[in-house]
Amino acid sequence: MIEVEKLTKDYGTTVAVRDLSFSVGKGEIVGFLGPNGAGKSTTLRILAGFLGATSGSVRVAGFDVAKESLAARRALGYMPEAAPLHPELRVREYLDFRAALKRVPRRERKNAVARALELAAVTDVSETLVGHLSKGYRQRVALADALVSKPPLLILDEPTSGLDPNQILEVRKLVRELGKSHTLLLSTHILSEVEVVCDRAIVIARGRLVGEGTLAELKARRKGRKLVLGLRGTEENARRALLAVAGVAAIECEAAGDSGEAQRVTLDVNDDAEPDLVAERAVAALVAAGLGVRSIARESASLEDVFQELTRGEAKESRDGEP
Amino acid sequence: MSGFFAVYRREMTSLWVTPLAWVLLVVFLLLQGTIFYSIVVHFSSLADLAVESGPVEAYFGQESVFLLMTLLLVCPALTMRSFAEERRSGTIETLLTAPVTAAGVVLGKYAAVLTTYVAMWAPTVLYVVILRKTGAVSWGAVASSYLGLFGVGAAYLGLGTLTSAMTKSQLVALLLSIFLQFGLFVLGVGEYVFEAGVFRDFCAYISVASQMEEMSRGIVDLRRLVFDASVAVASLFVTARVVDSWRWG
Repeated sequence: MIEVEKLTKDYGTTVAVRDLSFSVGKGEIVGFLGPNGAGKSTTLRILAGFLGATSGSVRVAGFDVAKESLAARRALGYMPEAAPLHPELRVREYLDFRAALKRVPRRERKNAVARALELAAVTDVSETLVGHLSKGYRQRVALADALVSKPPLLILDEPTSGLDPNQILEVRKLVRELGKSHTLLLSTHILSEVEVVCDRAIVIARGRLVGEGTLAELKARRKGRKLVLGLRGTEENARRALLAVAGVAAIECEAAGDSGEAQRVTLDVNDDAEPDLVAERAVAALVAAGLGVRSIARESASLEDVFQELTRGEAKESRDGEP
Repeated sequence: MSGFFAVYRREMTSLWVTPLAWVLLVVFLLLQGTIFYSIVVHFSSLADLAVESGPVEAYFGQESVFLLMTLLLVCPALTMRSFAEERRSGTIETLLTAPVTAAGVVLGKYAAVLTTYVAMWAPTVLYVVILRKTGAVSWGAVASSYLGLFGVGAAYLGLGTLTSAMTKSQLVALLLSIFLQFGLFVLGVGEYVFEAGVFRDFCAYISVASQMEEMSRGIVDLRRLVFDASVAVASLFVTARVVDSWRWG
């Protein structure tokens, strides 16, 4: 549904997006992740046809957004960040206007508006002035706006920003529901959101793609370089045995239990060593030293760690690249 | 032209459900009423009257400077929010990501303020209806006077729509458009300032006061209307280009 190739957006003073390529298939729910200022909104605005790209090509639903802009815009429902709305209209009036603007035929408009009100759960405020709505309702009215012309593709820019936890849960539920019948691309800087809602994530930082894949793939890319062992024996013996193991960078011991007999040991593995081999050698060394190995596990990185690692590395790189 | 009717309808709703159009209407009619009343009182003290220079002709013609002064305020106030408001509040993003063309959006907004402008003038027809009871009124001259006002309004509102697209601040849009319209008005005064020559002819040609003076006497000079239309069309064309240019900012 979305194909982005070598997209670059240069604002003159800053380059917001650099050489970005990705694609979103039909029926997918994709999270567009990145820290604030990474170029998420700029990219989505280009996809939605609000901004033009400096170079590169963008196709939405098979239409080039630069050459067949109207057809591309008809195929998508876009919800901008901060959900701007006309405060002087009633919710129903606003959605009716939006439906007309998106060329929903006059006789279908009433039903289309009713359906969008229903889907976004804002039927109860349909006669309220938009200006009197709470932030949560405004966000959902904006979502209803994106839905009103029944587009196959939805692009949502930070749909949960500025909402309270209950509202966030509601919006997420709604997004998951919509994902069953739409292709969805949503941007966020909240990681747990991606974990809960999306099939796949695209991570950008400083306008560049730094990671892409399913959540499991992303985590696998940054598998922990830490081993956690449960031992029976004294801390002193454990340290002595482990220091001799090649590939161990640091040892951290923690007494587990009151007797001081059991230890919880965390090993940092050297960057050039293979964690699995280090694990083997460590167990052999410990057993040879007469300590009891009760458990061993590789600590898996949380999504937060992956995110930090991906975006931090990129930040360093691009700073080096600047004169 | 895609989006014209939807934008037109939305603009009309927004103009008339907010106080702006009503406040302008009240101020406008109060001013027009005062001007017309003063002129009628003045004429009632005169001994003899000719049909071609009665109070109605004076109101639309010789004394049109008062009426044009109110337009210098009312027209920019009508157009100032057109684009500036949408850009400040961010709704321009939802508007331009809908399948609409720049021409459709610009013309929809322009048609809405032009309709409102006509609606503001409509009650003033009553002045003439009332005066009819006291003397003869040339309806042809009245019709051409309103045609002249429509032309001036069309040009002024075009300029206002353009300035509204040039800034995010309604106040700046208002001031810019007052400046442009006042400039056009003052250039027209050049007709009485400069020696005979090309420049004076030019000033006479673009003078809105002269336009109203002629039209109040029932003279419809097509060149006047062509000038008004040119200002409006040129402004709207540039506005559409400005709207398109936002995509590349």
